[in-house]
Amino acid sequence: MIVKRVRFETSAPTEFVDVTDRIREEVQRAGLRTGRVHLQSLHTTLGLAVNENEPLLLRDFEQVLERFAPSGAGYEHDDFSRRIDIALDEPVNGHAHCRQLLLSSFATVLVEEGDLVLGRWQSLFAVELDGPRRRELAVQLDGDFAAPRFSHAPEASDALVELELTRQLLVDPEPVAAPMRRLVEAGGKRLRPKLVQLAAGIGPRQEPLRAASLAAAVELLHNATLIHDDYVDESTHRRGRPTVAAAEGPERAIAVGDYYFAKATRLIAEIGHRRVTSTIAEALEAICASQIDDVALRGAYPGDRESYLRVVRGKTAALFSAACASGALLSEAEPEVVDALRRYGDLIGTAFQMADDMVDFSPTSGKPVGLDIRQRVLSLPLIYAAEDRVVGPEVRRLLAGSLADDDVDRVTELVNVSDALPRVRGEAQALVDEAVREIESVELDGLRPTLISLARSAVNRSY
Amino acid sequence: MSAQVLDRELDRLEDLWTDGLSDAYREYLGVVKEADGDSQMKLALAAALVEVGVRLQSLGGRAATPPALLMGDLCLARASRLLADAATIAVQVAFARAIETLAADAAAQKQAPPARELLLQALEARS
Repeated sequence: MIVKRVRFETSAPTEFVDVTDRIREEVQRAGLRTGRVHLQSLHTTLGLAVNENEPLLLRDFEQVLERFAPSGAGYEHDDFSRRIDIALDEPVNGHAHCRQLLLSSFATVLVEEGDLVLGRWQSLFAVELDGPRRRELAVQLDGDFAAPRFSHAPEASDALVELELTRQLLVDPEPVAAPMRRLVEAGGKRLRPKLVQLAAGIGPRQEPLRAASLAAAVELLHNATLIHDDYVDESTHRRGRPTVAAAEGPERAIAVGDYYFAKATRLIAEIGHRRVTSTIAEALEAICASQIDDVALRGAYPGDRESYLRVVRGKTAALFSAACASGALLSEAEPEVVDALRRYGDLIGTAFQMADDMVDFSPTSGKPVGLDIRQRVLSLPLIYAAEDRVVGPEVRRLLAGSLADDDVDRVTELVNVSDALPRVRGEAQALVDEAVREIESVELDGLRPTLISLARSAVNRSY
Repeated sequence: MSAQVLDRELDRLEDLWTDGLSDAYREYLGVVKEADGDSQMKLALAAALVEVGVRLQSLGGRAATPPALLMGDLCLARASRLLADAATIAVQVAFARAIETLAADAAAQKQAPPARELLLQALEARS
């Protein structure tokens, strides 16, 4: 039995606070595989309910509560002259107490396969009846817990990969290590190593150090390809810092990229799992072939959707897919699990790239707007805008010429007024949904919710 | 490895075959006699691809053009996949170390040993 408290703040007099994800996280963190989560409100004006999170329906509920116990309807509880021992800050809230009669102070949700058992439309709500306030729920988790595993402790897992990256960069010759260290320390989302680590927690063979070594090697490989890409794309900055090519010249950039390409393949070979080595090597080949296609397609800029998808599946999705598959192979997961994760990685990798394309058109993303257009990088929003009946002719005409700053601004504006961005967003979302379906029918040792959440986060960026 | 398989492994790299790749391949083929049929050819082709790849990238010299760099990357990546198919772990590690040496020396602007010398040694690596 694990005992917890979930705390949150409400922001309105009546509010339906969806706590499903918070409770789901508690289940995952605790490693509860099969059992129950018991929740109890610690307040007399905070109820619990399981219902659908649909904004209009939530307004209906509010109206029902209001009709049942209208505020200011003259409740005896609010007549402070007749009450004794009342607190100085006692609120006028007879209506809230009465409304609580319609709700419950308790809820129990079943847990199976490490996740809450909820129907498609069911969400778990804490219902504020007298807000805004600080609130607290008592939570008890009861049932069969998984043995503690690294993959179920994401912070420890991440720390191990960071440690491994630091360790590897410490032993390399400074002329190659220094530029790579700057790039690695500048951040990055670390999605690929995270996928390796998660997938490596699925099968029966749990070896955190090997998994961290593989995850770090995959991250180094990814960064090596970025260093060469930046030279090819003539990029001046990455992750807010000058690129290796811009800071130290293309000769150094080529050498650093080659060094870490080789070192990463060596680290993977030294793990001693032939199928893992082959999986990563095949992805690397796909990345390099797609990079050649990408550059070739810039002659017919902005290209078409089919060519775009072919390039993206190689250039971006191949390593996502290989990260998932190699982690699962390392843990000796069942073949159907490896295959499902391979497809999951391919789909979220493609969705990730689509989301990345959209960032180029957002003034609030923190990245320079229109950079992809200037560098003539393949971009799905641009492809759709060029196909648009209204703005397409102007987009194509501008892209056919040499692009001055004003032209880039105009293309950005045209993309924003067309339906290109919603179309791309919809496609990325559909790919994530498909990725989630891919992992629905395989045993993932309680990691399904984490993989679903990671898939969703791949496309939920600030645009 | 049949001629047909060799053709497949040269996909996108056909132009390199007459530009030094075939000569390098034959040279390495002569030193991998201990390996069995397909592995011999894969190991020799992997070594030839690494040699040609780093040459295309002008490692240690003036920076290659972007298309040459990308073609070099593809050579290295394909070599890596061929080694994953056919080489022992010791040989895979030795190949990687050979490229690490060439790249680290290039980054430090030091004269590196000839690539062929390093790759011939890598082919003889034993665990």
